[in-house]
Amino acid sequence: MIDTLYRIYTVLALAAACVLSIGALFAALRERRRRGHDAILRAKYLHALMLALSGDEGRMPYFPLFGHYGTRLLLCETIAGLVSITYGLNTALLRHAIDRYGLDRWMLRHVRRCRGYRRARALALLACLPSDETMAAAVVPYLRSRNRYVRFYALTVQLAVDPAHALRYIESYPGPLSASEVAELMALLRRGILPVAYGPLLESRSLNLRRVGLAIVRQFGIEEAEGRLLQFVADSSEPELGREALYALCSLRCSLLRREVAVFITGMNFRERRALLRCVALEGYALNTMQRLFEDEEQPYYETLVQSYKRSLA
Amino acid sequence: MHRRILIVAEEPFVRDVVRLSLVGLGAEVRCTSDCEGMRASCRRATFDLIIVLQAAMFLCGGNPVREVRPVGLRHPAIYVLSWQQAEQTVLSLLEAGVDQYMTFPVNLQRLRRKVADELDRRL
Repeated sequence: MIDTLYRIYTVLALAAACVLSIGALFAALRERRRRGHDAILRAKYLHALMLALSGDEGRMPYFPLFGHYGTRLLLCETIAGLVSITYGLNTALLRHAIDRYGLDRWMLRHVRRCRGYRRARALALLACLPSDETMAAAVVPYLRSRNRYVRFYALTVQLAVDPAHALRYIESYPGPLSASEVAELMALLRRGILPVAYGPLLESRSLNLRRVGLAIVRQFGIEEAEGRLLQFVADSSEPELGREALYALCSLRCSLLRREVAVFITGMNFRERRALLRCVALEGYALNTMQRLFEDEEQPYYETLVQSYKRSLA
Repeated sequence: MHRRILIVAEEPFVRDVVRLSLVGLGAEVRCTSDCEGMRASCRRATFDLIIVLQAAMFLCGGNPVREVRPVGLRHPAIYVLSWQQAEQTVLSLLEAGVDQYMTFPVNLQRLRRKVADELDRRL
């Protein structure tokens, strides 16, 4: 009796395993076919877009199979991909195409349907679609999301669709911006979305705006801001901002032999000092400068760093 | 005279964007995905311009410029487009023999104009 039961169990288990394996195989084949289909369709959409953008007559591109399942997202991804790696495109034509196919409205509905990181990704795509200012108001609820990425990409949507009020949006953003978020804002700036005027940003009362201002100074190597950077370093009320200002001074290759810098370095902990030494070594500061700013026991570490960066060969 | 351009990029999307932006220049555009493909393509044909869409292959100790360009010649011209912004990286690339460095995001019309000028210069 038990032998029979074992046999039945084995046969059933084998049959179930076979069914599952065949199902998994079919799913994998279907996924592979879908990916191939998507890749072909994406290439066609990109071709149609590039053809329309290179023509002078501004003809509306034709997107084959548009309206089928998954094609809207595919087209959104294609446009967003193109916009994110370029600048100076014919935005009017792109906007016309987006209006005609209702991509921004569809993407907003897609954002509503998604949750968590998928929502953040959908918002990131939406930020790359040229759209109108009404979108800035539509994403306001997502600025209160518990997910940090959702909050940030909602901000990027606002900045992208309404750059005239970019400073107001950054100022009212809930919570401090992280270093990687500021770096993403710099990418927007390179695409010509944000203003480059760093002066009002550095003078602002908002921590986020000052952080963006410091990033602009660092990115574009604005040496005129040296005095303001030293003020940030000297201001002990916000050490995090002072640290960023110190890194910006290093990037500008300004002299570090200042009283403000020496006082600030004294107040840094061991890990922060090590991180600063790495940055200073990367920027190519002389060993003599470091001997006057850091303790004797930190000298060998800096020498090792200098040798590892092969400064002597420069 | 028949002109040839080679685009080297790992990402098919970026490669297609650059390839399509160069349509109509009267040059034959070929694409490859990596350094090995670039070397193989250069062995098979002579290119007037190589556009590399990643700085990574220059940052791993190798110098692809030396491998595809005969000693003492400035041919083919090599353009690099990448996200790298650091001054040291750009200087290193230029010292390695790269003729033009552009950062992403890139203006496609500007790139097209530069490529057209480069090809005209080499006629």
